[in-house]
Amino acid sequence: MSNNFFEVRNVDFVVGGKTKVRNVSFSIKNEGDVICLLGPSGIGKTTILRTIAGLQRIKHGSIKLNGKIISSENLNVEPEHRNISLAFQENSLFPHYTVKKNILLGFEKNKLKKRKEINLQEILDLLDLSKILNQYPHQISAGEAQRASLARALLTQPDLLLLDEPLSNVDQSFKEEIQIRLKRILKTLKISTIIVTHDSYEAFYLGSKCGIILDQELRQFDDPYKVYHFPNSVEVVNFLNRGVLIPAEVTSPKSLENKDLGTITGNFVKPFPIGSNVQLLIQPEDLHHDDQSNLKLEIVDRKFRGTSFIYTLKTTTNKFIPVFVHSHHIHQHEISEKFGIKRPIHIDHIVCF
Amino acid sequence: MKINFWYISSFLISLLVIIPILTVFSSFFEQTTNYFDILKETFLFEYTYNSLALLISVLTLTFLIGTITAYLVSFYDFPLSNFFKWALILSFAVPPYIYAYSLTAFFENYGTAYTILKNLFGEANYNQHIPKFDGMLGSILSISISLFGYVYILTRASFLYQSQSLIDLGKNLGFTNFQSFYKVILPAARPAIVAGLSLVAMETLAEFGAVDFFSINTLTTGIYNSWIAFDDLAFANRLSFFLLLFIFALFILENLSRNKAKYHFNSRGGFKHKDKIKLTKKKSFLAFIFCFFIFFISFLFPLSQMLYWTIKFPENLFDLNILNLLLNTLYLVIISSIVLITFSLISNYGNRVLKNKFLNILSTLSISGYAIPGVILAVAFITFISWLDESMIKTLGLTSIKKIFIGSILGLVLVYFVRFYSLAFNGIKSGYEKINIYVDESAYLLGYSKKKTFLNIHVPILRNSLLFVGVLVALEIIRELPIALILRPFNFETFATTAYISASEDLLEAAAVPSLFLILIASFFIITASKYILRENNE
Repeated sequence: MSNNFFEVRNVDFVVGGKTKVRNVSFSIKNEGDVICLLGPSGIGKTTILRTIAGLQRIKHGSIKLNGKIISSENLNVEPEHRNISLAFQENSLFPHYTVKKNILLGFEKNKLKKRKEINLQEILDLLDLSKILNQYPHQISAGEAQRASLARALLTQPDLLLLDEPLSNVDQSFKEEIQIRLKRILKTLKISTIIVTHDSYEAFYLGSKCGIILDQELRQFDDPYKVYHFPNSVEVVNFLNRGVLIPAEVTSPKSLENKDLGTITGNFVKPFPIGSNVQLLIQPEDLHHDDQSNLKLEIVDRKFRGTSFIYTLKTTTNKFIPVFVHSHHIHQHEISEKFGIKRPIHIDHIVCF
Repeated sequence: MKINFWYISSFLISLLVIIPILTVFSSFFEQTTNYFDILKETFLFEYTYNSLALLISVLTLTFLIGTITAYLVSFYDFPLSNFFKWALILSFAVPPYIYAYSLTAFFENYGTAYTILKNLFGEANYNQHIPKFDGMLGSILSISISLFGYVYILTRASFLYQSQSLIDLGKNLGFTNFQSFYKVILPAARPAIVAGLSLVAMETLAEFGAVDFFSINTLTTGIYNSWIAFDDLAFANRLSFFLLLFIFALFILENLSRNKAKYHFNSRGGFKHKDKIKLTKKKSFLAFIFCFFIFFISFLFPLSQMLYWTIKFPENLFDLNILNLLLNTLYLVIISSIVLITFSLISNYGNRVLKNKFLNILSTLSISGYAIPGVILAVAFITFISWLDESMIKTLGLTSIKKIFIGSILGLVLVYFVRFYSLAFNGIKSGYEKINIYVDESAYLLGYSKKKTFLNIHVPILRNSLLFVGVLVALEIIRELPIALILRPFNFETFATTAYISASEDLLEAAAVPSLFLILIASFFIITASKYILRENNE
């Protein structure tokens, strides 16, 4: 008997008779934890949220909240009887009410439940909604509508809050600020939350756990740090797109040999027999720039990311390796020039497949 | 599938509407009296020929009037062009039979035209120079001028939704205005035009009052006469079946064209404001004259003719109990509108929340009621009630229930319900389609039950759609003739039935008063709903 606050066990998530995601199991251990589900568009992330909210039924497995089954093959507690809120990605505000009235509906539901006091003004300020309170949904922008839906969902003080791409329509310049505020609100109100997003940085920032959904499966469910640094499959590596796999041969319990980079040392996350040929994950921060090095590769691309440059280097075996360099670095290089890589190469944790 | 209140009510509502349609089909295989043989050899050919001749002529005229007026008011700026935009839809206020009375009253020997000429130029034999619009020509004109509004409204809506870039592209290719119209604008609006013409076709085949007045025998009048004159319900049903085949062919055509219309209308883009072209003085005058002429003959002419007679023969005004007719008409309108809107709303909501394939098929079938002429529905209703009555007396030994349904307000409202259900259902459905499904789901997640979501969220959001549907239904019922004639209670008259009875007794002057009131009330409803009909503010 598990003591998880929320638990999805062996559930097939189905929409229109078609299985979107199979045999999914994950849990939220403590009330107030936030988890994020990541995956490409159309993979079934929204279906998962809708099913948890009770808007879709399941035919296999079970979903438990607060120790009670809310969905199973034989049982589906109606959405209005689960204390779960879902903030949709699309505008779901009631068009005949002002933004204020829409938001207050969430507050009214909360009052009925006689839960802990919640400061309405604080929520409005945090989501920057005060100026649009008297407007109707068709008079505000998609980003504002999304924030208003979020406020309404938060004010219901649900047992479980589900957010479907909550900031997808919010301006880029405002997004980071809202992420910080959202994290603070969730922590203050201690609301357990599942956030669906395709933005890995958003997921890594907001979630204490991240799930990666690929090819109809939950491929990895772990801490954000582990998901990033210890991806458990080639597919997760490709999805996160934060590194490249290059061929290498295991030469000792702590080293490998690659045709272009030479010897690479470090700690294997998973041991491989000496002599085996593997695919080694190289992430942008694994290699370091050194103009004096005799290991040089050609630059084929350079991306300026404000705080950093990401150089893309071409190997003799036609692999493209990303290398992170701080943007204040004085030795800037142009495309087609040679880029020196510091030797010996040591990677703290070696991920191979 | 969970069977609940919404499922059962949606199912029953659709079933109720389908019964008369099924009755017509089942009756086809029943025996008729030998009247059928007589008719087969003599009148059936005439009925079919007249129906077809009427159909083709009306379609041609409504196409020309509808598309030209829509084109002029949509793309050009000329004196009163904004006024004509909505004034042209006032033609809906004049049903074909009232138009027929006006035509006859004006052009008949010693009619209004004669009086005008006499007053202007003195006594002379003008009658032989005044053209006569009666018989087939009179029917074609009356129906076309009364119905061109369908083509006008849908074509104009399609013009409004055409992208400016498409029109600019025509200009860029060096097209003249006429070439742009012919090669770009018209083909793009084709589905809308076909949809408008299909509606005209269905109304034309179902038309009873005008063709009956001009003594043109069509399939529809044939059905009425075989029931009224020969008391042969089975034959009426058999004729109905032939007419239904016609109608269903058109119905399929209309549906196909609507599917294409989705492709042509950019529903996401919505109404595009286009700069109208300012016409030169001469062209501007011609455009004005054309639109004014159509507005004049479709609305001002019948209105003034009826007004003239009402003033000329004021005794008719006092002979009629206007208040009683008004109350009867409004009574029917209100009861029928409430019933139609309530049940259409429930079945729409049932379909929305249940997403059940069987219910969807049933509701698709049930909305075909609009394609079935009122005469057929009334006859089918009587057939069904007679069968039910007979079965109940035979099997259960109950007393007759005929009186409850035939010659009663209940029966009348029930048949109106079947006839106009699709109008109400589709009107509400298009309102529902604008409500995002996430709105429903948000309500559930806020703890709202289905009933509370329906009452507190959907009904207020749909308020404008419901008002619009109410007005459309009211307009149809005010103008409706054959169902009221066949099924109304004894001594229960409306403006439409009073006008028809006076006209059929050759008392056209007496028909003027109820006709005038009918036009005025219908105009009031049209003006109230014009912004919705013109589709500019509700998108």
